[in-house]
Amino acid sequence: MLELEGLTRRYGSVTALDGLSFNVPEGTMYGFVGPNGSGKTTAMRIVLGVLEPDSGAVRWRGAPIDAAGRRRFGYMPEERGLYPKMRVADQLAYMARLHGFEAAAAGASADRLIERLGLSERGDARVEELSLGNQQRVQLGAALAHEPELLVLDEPFSGLDPDGVDVLASVLRERVDAGVAVVFSSHQLELVERLCDAVAIIARGHLVASGSVAELRDREARRVLRVEVEGAPGGWADGIDGVLGVEHDGDALLVGLTESADDQLVLEAARRAGRVRHFGPVRATLAEVFRETVAP
Amino acid sequence: MNPRGAIALVARREIVERGRQRSFVVSTVVTLVIIALVAVLPGVIGGGGPERYRVGVVGEASPPVAEAATAAAKRFEVEIEPQRVADRAAAERALEADDLDAAIIDGRTLLSRDSPPDELEQALQAGAQRAGSVSVLRERGLSPTAIERALSPPALATRTLEEAGAGDERRFVALAAVLLLYVQLLTYGLWVAAGVVEEKASRVVEILLAAIRPRELLAGKVIGLGLLGLAQLLLVVAVGAGLALASGTLEVEASALSTIGVVLLWFPLGYALYASMYAAAGALVSRQEDLQSSSGPLTLIVIASYLVSFQAIDDPSGGLARIASLVPFTAPLVQPVRLVTGEGSLVSALAAVAIIAITTLVIVRVAATIYERAVLRTGKPVRLREALRGPDGS
Repeated sequence: MLELEGLTRRYGSVTALDGLSFNVPEGTMYGFVGPNGSGKTTAMRIVLGVLEPDSGAVRWRGAPIDAAGRRRFGYMPEERGLYPKMRVADQLAYMARLHGFEAAAAGASADRLIERLGLSERGDARVEELSLGNQQRVQLGAALAHEPELLVLDEPFSGLDPDGVDVLASVLRERVDAGVAVVFSSHQLELVERLCDAVAIIARGHLVASGSVAELRDREARRVLRVEVEGAPGGWADGIDGVLGVEHDGDALLVGLTESADDQLVLEAARRAGRVRHFGPVRATLAEVFRETVAP
Repeated sequence: MNPRGAIALVARREIVERGRQRSFVVSTVVTLVIIALVAVLPGVIGGGGPERYRVGVVGEASPPVAEAATAAAKRFEVEIEPQRVADRAAAERALEADDLDAAIIDGRTLLSRDSPPDELEQALQAGAQRAGSVSVLRERGLSPTAIERALSPPALATRTLEEAGAGDERRFVALAAVLLLYVQLLTYGLWVAAGVVEEKASRVVEILLAAIRPRELLAGKVIGLGLLGLAQLLLVVAVGAGLALASGTLEVEASALSTIGVVLLWFPLGYALYASMYAAAGALVSRQEDLQSSSGPLTLIVIASYLVSFQAIDDPSGGLARIASLVPFTAPLVQPVRLVTGEGSLVSALAAVAIIAITTLVIVRVAATIYERAVLRTGKPVRLREALRGPDGS
């Protein structure tokens, strides 16, 4: 498990991270979302040791991380980076070697990845000769070359075509199934919802929500009910204790509740008003959860 | 992986990738061609043997003069080809027609169209003196052996207080050595800076630094390019020296060969000093376009050192050369000059090595600190003072 605990980091007068904590279990695809400038990149750089935190700690499998431990991590920075004039296969093998692979193993790993990432024809091409989408595949390869235990990917899906997204997602899922902890940031929340097992949402440098995607959606769901009552007079839900407002949605009524409201009061009112055809929470999309939680 | 392993990996990549680049291959070939021309041409053109003169010989008294002059000609670095001419009028016609360069008339007159070349006249005058002396001594009844002994006393053996310089040759070697060192220091220093900027501009540095320490990356880059530079220098010097010796531009001389070792020794020292500064200059900027302004001052120092070393070739024992041979930035270029010209001393060389080594250690530390603090900062150039002051950058 990767543990971030109370990470704080300031740049001059700007506080990028303000006591950020969350855990990423192994064998989990973990989404890391937050508005621009909320501190995602800073947090990832600290995990990889590229930056030092002002305070707080990062632990992997219960122990502080040293240089040797970090070599078993894979990293794809937000600012993509490869040697433009180096050949793809050489580049991947070089990355594997920098992370401690022997020459032969590094070459084999590079060949496997080139095949898996759909770059078979391009192994001898210089990186600068590739399309941007293919460069991104090589970039992922650079993070995977040494078969890391933890993968930290900053916006890995941005700029990929749907085919590229599918390849990348399936490669990541393979790693997760093999027990690797994968954490990636993204602004594409539908993608995060679809791919991730769990999510951390941060805003202004600290955690505002975390948990499995289902948990998060349910948490918001407790606050909006969808009720369908046959033959009910208009305004039947007005004045119920804890109801913030109502909204028509076809034949149904969406009822917004305060945090402490009792949804059973709404049910009783509905039964008094008519025949209840449907009564249940509305599951929010991750995007809605996100908007709710990060709103200042 | 230990630091040494990381440094070796980075160095290996630098050598392989740079060695593959067309710019490297082309520059090596061009340097070799230039060196080959410089090494061979003087032997082929300039040293094409002594000038040859055709000298007409008129009258019975002239042949002894011509013979003596021909024998003496070598001392004056000319060759004389005597030709019998029937009379003065025939000699004049031949001179007019440029078939003769000069003529000796009756052993008494040196006739030429305009004033004869100095060395030819000197050779002919010497011949006339000798022929005159021989005839006087013979009239006095001396035997030919006695005459020979009287006219060819053993020459004075020459000894100098300072080591005798095969002046021009040493100058030539010093010039070539300084030029090579200068080009190599400048080229490889700039390559280090450009390599650092390449990693920053392409942002690959962030991935690298997630795997290895900044100092390892810096050391690997400097060492890798340095080894490549040394290998190129070895190749150029070996080819240049080999051709120069083979073509006769340089006479085989132990000192000329030891010079090669001297040049090779000063490259790593000067390179370590300059390359670490160039690396820091590269780390301060994020784009190749900005590199010129941050590395400009360094390049000026290299060029100034080159000019000082040129002056030192002209006056290797002068005050400037003495001081510059102990200043860390100029010493790598001036010390070889003083050693090649025989003005250097082991003490001075060792002192310079120590001074450069200490300066390099200090500069490597400072440069590594600048590099660590600036290498992840992208965008506008980092100011040197900011990088030195402390860690509050992103």
